[in-house]
Order: sequence, then C-alpha cells, then structure tokens
Amino acid sequence: MSAAGAPLGRIAVPARVLRLRVHWSDRIAHGVLAAAGLALAVFLLAPMAAILAKSVQDRAGEFVGMAHFVSYFDTPALSRSIWNSLWVSALVTTVTLPVAFTFAYALTRSCMRWKRVLRNVALVPILAPSLLAAISFIFWFGNQGLLKALMGGTQIYGAPGIVISLVFATFPHALMILVTALSLTDARLYEAADALGTSAPRKFVTITLPGARYGIISAAMVVFTYALSDFGIPKVIGGNFNMLATDIFKLVIGQQDFAKGAVVAIVLLVPVGVTCAVEAYVQRRQSALLSARSVPYVPRPSRAFDWSMAAFCWTVAALLVAVLAMAVYASFVKLWPYNFSLSLDHYRLGLVDAGIFPAYLHSLELAAWCASAGTVFIFVTAYVLEKTRGMDALRPLVRLMAVLPMGVPGMVLGLGYIFFFVRADNPLHFIYGTLAILAVNTVVHYYSSSHLTAVTALKQIDNEFESVSASLRVPFWRTFARVTVPVCMPAILDVSRYLFVNAMTTVSAVVFLYSPRTALASVAIVNLDEAGDIGPAAAMATLIVATSALVCLLYHLLQRWLDRRTQAWRLS
Amino acid sequence: MAEALREQVGEVTDYLSLRRIHKRFGDFVALHDVSLDVRAGELLCFLGPSGCGKTTLLRIVAGLEVQTSGTLMQGGRDISRLPPMDRDYGIVFQSYALFPNLTVGENVAYGLVNRRVPRAQREARVAELLALVGMPDSTAKHPAQLSGGQQQRVAIARALATSPGLLLLDEPLSALDARVRARLRGEIRGLQQRLGVTTILVTHDQEEALSMADRIVVMKDGAIEQTGTPVEVYLHPATPFVADFVGRTNLLPAQRDGADRVAVGMHRFQCEINGAGEGALRVFFRPEDVVVRGVNGASVNSASARVEKVEFLGAYSRLTIRLEGIEQPLFADLSVNDMAEFRPRAGDTLRISLPPDRLRVFGA
Repeated sequence: MSAAGAPLGRIAVPARVLRLRVHWSDRIAHGVLAAAGLALAVFLLAPMAAILAKSVQDRAGEFVGMAHFVSYFDTPALSRSIWNSLWVSALVTTVTLPVAFTFAYALTRSCMRWKRVLRNVALVPILAPSLLAAISFIFWFGNQGLLKALMGGTQIYGAPGIVISLVFATFPHALMILVTALSLTDARLYEAADALGTSAPRKFVTITLPGARYGIISAAMVVFTYALSDFGIPKVIGGNFNMLATDIFKLVIGQQDFAKGAVVAIVLLVPVGVTCAVEAYVQRRQSALLSARSVPYVPRPSRAFDWSMAAFCWTVAALLVAVLAMAVYASFVKLWPYNFSLSLDHYRLGLVDAGIFPAYLHSLELAAWCASAGTVFIFVTAYVLEKTRGMDALRPLVRLMAVLPMGVPGMVLGLGYIFFFVRADNPLHFIYGTLAILAVNTVVHYYSSSHLTAVTALKQIDNEFESVSASLRVPFWRTFARVTVPVCMPAILDVSRYLFVNAMTTVSAVVFLYSPRTALASVAIVNLDEAGDIGPAAAMATLIVATSALVCLLYHLLQRWLDRRTQAWRLS
Repeated sequence: MAEALREQVGEVTDYLSLRRIHKRFGDFVALHDVSLDVRAGELLCFLGPSGCGKTTLLRIVAGLEVQTSGTLMQGGRDISRLPPMDRDYGIVFQSYALFPNLTVGENVAYGLVNRRVPRAQREARVAELLALVGMPDSTAKHPAQLSGGQQQRVAIARALATSPGLLLLDEPLSALDARVRARLRGEIRGLQQRLGVTTILVTHDQEEALSMADRIVVMKDGAIEQTGTPVEVYLHPATPFVADFVGRTNLLPAQRDGADRVAVGMHRFQCEINGAGEGALRVFFRPEDVVVRGVNGASVNSASARVEKVEFLGAYSRLTIRLEGIEQPLFADLSVNDMAEFRPRAGDTLRISLPPDRLRVFGA
C-alpha cells in the first residue's frame, strides 16, 4: 500500500547530502576531538615539519635545496653510520628473535613449571633504561670488567657491546609479541593433525610457524626499529662506533650543526618508517586471527621436552638477571675494581652530594604527569574518536596522527621539538625548558601503543552504549564517566603504567629538551657515564629500576583491588 | 482517490510516517524509496532476509543512521533531521547493551536520573517497570548475573522507563534459545498491548513476525514487498518472494489455460487468476494446502502423486511428492490424523487435490 502510494519514476536526487542537526552535547564531543587533533598537529606534525624545513635551509634560514643531503653523503665518516645502524640492527634482530621465540614457545607450549616466575624475570629489562644493560656489560667485560679475560683481544666497546646490550633490551618486547602470537593458535588444528598421524616437526612447520608468522614478522620489526632508534646504548658502550642516533646527538649538541642533524634525522626516519608500516600492516592481519573463535591450546606433559625447555629458559633468565644484578651490585661497590666492599657512597656522594639527586625527583614528577594527564588525554581522545559521531573528515586524520609516533624515533622527535619550540616567535615558546615540554614530548613519543591499547579496550565494549544513552537523552559524557571509564579501567591502568615506566626510563627524546632546572634521572646516567662516574651512573640506573618495579607492583595491587571490587559484574 | 482517503485517515491514526526514504552507502543502495505509516499503538514488524535494509530503516527512525533523502514525521513533528537526543523513542538492541557495571535498578533508572526525577519517584518507577517485565526482585543484581532472557527484559524496562512514544526492537530475540524465545514473544506482545506503546520490531524470523505483529512489512533488497496483517501476508502474499519467505511454499511454472484455469505440465488446475497476465505464470500453494482426505478421481484439481520421502516433524509429517509429468518435487504436510489413516510410505501412490481457493497465481 505505502510503496504504491508514492508516484514512481521521479526519484528525488538530493542536491546535497542530508545531515542531522547537531545536538549541543555532540558539539562538545566535536570540540574535544578538534582540540585533540590540534594538539597532535602542534606537538607532532609541526615539529616534524620543522625538521624537514631545517634540512633544506642554511643557518640564515635561506633555502638551499638538497645541499645538506649532498654534503652528508659526501662525508664518509657520517654516511658510514647508515650501514653501521642497519647491520647492527639486523644482527640484533637475528639474535633476539630465535631466543625470544624459543622462550615464548616454552611458555606457551610446554608444561615446564615456574612459568610465571620465568615470564616476569624475562620482562624485567622493560623496567630499566636501555643503557643499564650497557653499563652492566662494561662492568662485566669492560676495561676493568670482571670477565675481561674472556674477551681475548677484542673490546666490548663498540659493536659487540652495542649488539649484546640491545639484545638484552629488546628481548622482552619480542617475547610479549611472540607469546601473544603463539597463544592464538587453534588447538583443533593440532587435534586434526594428530588424528592424521602427523609428526612433531611437520606440525611445527605446517601449523605452529604459519600461525605465528605475523607475530614473528611483527616482533622482528619492533626489535629492528628499537635497535635502530636507541640512543642510550651506543652512547654509553659504543666507543668510537658511530650510529645514526648518536650522530644526531653529536651533530646537534657537539657541533651545533642543526641542518646536518636534521638530515641524519630524516635518514633515520626512512628505515624506521618502513618497518613501522610493515608492522602496522602485519598487526592488522594478526588481529583478524584473534577475532576468530578458536579453542586454546593446552600443552601435554612430555618429560624430555619440558626439561630441555626449562633448561633453556632458566639459562636465559640467569643471563638476564646477571645483567641486571651486575648494575645493582656495582652501584654498591665502593671503588671498582680496587675495593669491592659494599657501601652507599655512589648514592650518597655520587648522587646526593653531587647535586644530581633532584634529577630523580624531576623524573618522578615527569612520570606522574605522563601517567595522569597523559593517560587522560590519550583515553579521552581515543573515546571521542571511536565512540562519538560527526566530523567525519577529521577522524581519519586524528587516527593517523595517533599511530604516527610509532614510526618516529625519540631522537628525531626531540630534535623536532627543539627546532619548533626554540623559536622565540612561537607562541608556545614559553614551555621550552620546562617540565611541561618534557611531559608532552614523552606522551607523544609513546602515544601509539597507549592509543592502541585504549582503542582495543573501547572496541571490546558494546558499540550501542552511546546509542542507548542518546535514546534515553543522557549526554555522552555521563555514559563516559559512569560506564566507559569503569569498564575500561584495566586498560586505562595499563596505559598509565606504561607511560610512567617509559617516562622514567626514556633518554632519546628528552636528551635534547631538558634544562638545568629539569634534568632527568635517565639523562643523568648518560652525563655521569660521560664524566667517567660509572659508579653513580649505575646507582641512578638502579634507582630507576627499583622505582619502576615498585610502581608496577603498586599498579598490580591496584588492579587486584579493583578486580575484587568489580567481580560482581565482571563475571564472564 | 484511495490515496487521498488514506491520507485523511492517516492524519487521525498514523503516529509515524516515513516518506520516500532512500539510503545509499557509497554505490550500494540500502533503501529504495520506502514509504510507510505506523499506526498509533500498533506493533509493526520489519521482516526480511539479512541485508534487506530492515535494520538500516530502524536505525534511520532512531536517528542512528541518516537517510540520503526522505522525510520522517513522528507524532506530527518532522524528525527527519533531528539528532537521536532530540527524538522520542526507546530502543532495545540485539546485544541488549546493558551497562555491565551498573545494577539492574541503575540500568532501568539510567534515563530517569538525567531528567531530574526525584529519587523516591525514580525508585518507584524502577520497581513498577521491573514488576511489569516480571523481574521484581532483581534491582540489586548486575546484568552478568542474569540469563539472556532476563537481560532482555531489563533492556525493555530500561527502554520504557522514560515512557517514550515509540519503542524500537532490533532483533530482540535472536540471541536467545528457542524455548525462551517462544515465551518472550508472548510476553513482549502482551506488554506492548497493555501499554499501548507504538512499537517497531525488526526480525528475520517469520514465525516471530506472524505471532507478534499487528502488521508486517516484508522487505527485500531495500524495498517494501508487501505490507499487511499476518493473515494477509500469509494467505495472500503479494509476490512470489513473500510467498516463499513467509512460510514454506510450492512454486510451479504454469501456463494460462482459460479464464480461471492454469496448465501445469499435463495437469489442469482451477484457480482464480486476478490479472496475473497472459502466457507464462507461476502457481503457488502451501504444503498444508494439499488435501488427501476424501479425494477421488472426480475431485476438483486432483492428481496422482508418488511419495518420495516421508519426514516426521512431530505435529505433522512432511511428504516429498512428485506429480505425474512434473519433474519438480513438491511438499505436502499431513496431519497426524491423516498420517494414521493413509499411512503413506516412500514409493506409495497417493491421490491428492489442491483446493482452488488456495492456489495463487503470479506472473512469471
């Protein structure tokens, strides 16, 4: 009746797309989204643009085209670093990946005991600044190292030290990705293979590896990027071995050659950008696997296999602990290598009396800001991005800016901040040299993973909450506060903890941005090491690890308390 | 003329009117020129296979999607461009979308809190609604502690709490198991009739539509195929698609053979041909329309059928039969009594007849 009621044939083609009127409460969401987009543009895009601009200008600001690039590639001492960075990163990846894979395989596919302990030990390097490993290896194998004799004629300073320290630092990152990838495989595939009488090696090649392939690629990319971008390790243990990240520092801080620094930053940006693009692509494929309904694999005990896996894992864990413990031990040794009696001298004299201790307090303050304000910004942005409607043109742009920092090494971001904020004509110049710029820089630096964690949590909750609220005429922010935040609290705490720990440990971006009033603990390690005060450097590194560990414990307890309080509704 | 009359009547009783709704997603046309009226107090059902546009149409009514063109009037108000917050409806989603961290009482009161309803009044309203949906003692529970059917009821109570003019139900029963579904059907229908709230129900389940709706809108490929009462839609399907989608059906190619006769293969069947056209036709009848009792050679529209398969389905049995000279197998449903009397088995021959008033003819 009704379809026939309207005259056929003349179908109205609207002159322009029909839009709903915008409710005033939605305008607030749009305002928040626009503000977040603007903030990311100012604190991410603009500094990156400043680097590009700087690389094609001379000191007077005149456009010089590719001149700096030409002269860079004509200077073998500099362009050699490209090759150095690439082969070191490739070597680190080829060492870390098999070790991390075997470890992850043991954790997911064997019935060895003490898995939780092993897993936690394996993740310990995340709590430390990357240069802790470098300091520790100096104590083990350096000129005055305990095991220097093992080195024969070779030196730990240079490529060997860099590679081994990076393996330590990257191991937990690869491990986490691989554990996730390996726990995804569907048990039914193995049952089917068993029913067909498939041999163990064949099952490994035809089921395990293909199932984990995205995880393996993803882990490789993450390790490669980490090695390529890390600054602390080559700075401390690199000796005369030059890499891109250290070159930027030398050119900018040492020689004040900003244009060359910008060129190296762009050179570094290229491989990192490529690996991150691959990683992002692979990650998306991986999550497609995750959404499939599968039966979790439950390993069956096998004496020989379990024991050999346990032996491997305990060996790795012992090595990791040895690295960590050496730095801690050395921080208490009175006068390495002459007086091995234990004392608090490095803490008392080397840090407190030397006036370096405030750096630790600055770091705490920075970490607290990142973990609080940074988390709020990231989560609110992710929320308005994923759960509100309207402003459809802006959304893809904000989404892109949110994942972009993954492909920007800290050194490059930090350099961009100098170029952009140092200019007196920048209205935001006033934050230069404050703790605020360090906090903003750190949040942007670690934005991508935090954002993705928040988005994943938001995507897991029912998409219709906002629709239901609107039908009940409840504005979105009430639902955000009463429902979304409580439901996403575990993810929010995760983001907060991640930002806290990284703010404590990061060196690369902030090394350009601190001022005497805002010196940071992690940067202090670099400076102490440079001054030859490796004992106090170890003490500071130990303080950072202890703080990170304590904070993680606090977050863990908070989470446990929250779980208990909310178990009435988190039944599923 | 009929249009004018309908418009006049519509002014009195139509609560919601959709006019010429189009919806495109890129190149895909999700809705094509949909116009319909929902009468005050009725339960209207959008029925169709997945992808037919029924959910999109519901979301347009809710303001969760925007029509590419067309207008919507609700209670005499043009809501075509109003955001969801400014419309007047309650909605229940397939997932229920209950807030997991709030208790049942808090869920139901969710829309009341914002309207500054005093606490005592609010609590009374929550108690009233929970009693209405048959869950008076669940105020303090959390949704995760409830069964699917109970969650469904809470979602309905929440949607009704603010006394909306329109209730929208998006596949509300599809996540439940068959037994609960059958019970809730009756309960929702009873509740809706008691409250007299105008309701739109989206479903792909024809049984649900037939048993609950005042009127059914059958949709296909973004357009309305037929609108009518369940009886109309079932007994007088407007198109072969409706005939096939609502209930089981036998559809045979036929030729016109006189004023009130069609030829199917070597058979001649009497029936009413209401302007279905000349030449190639299709004739349709339902399995339960096949008569076996009291049929002999002289009966009208009778034919000899060979039984190929007998399927016992509880209250009735479904026979797969073949008429002489017709390749296509047909279905015939026999009651328990018929089965007891005739005891058809695979390979038997059976005399059947097709009552002329049960045959419907469509253009091919």
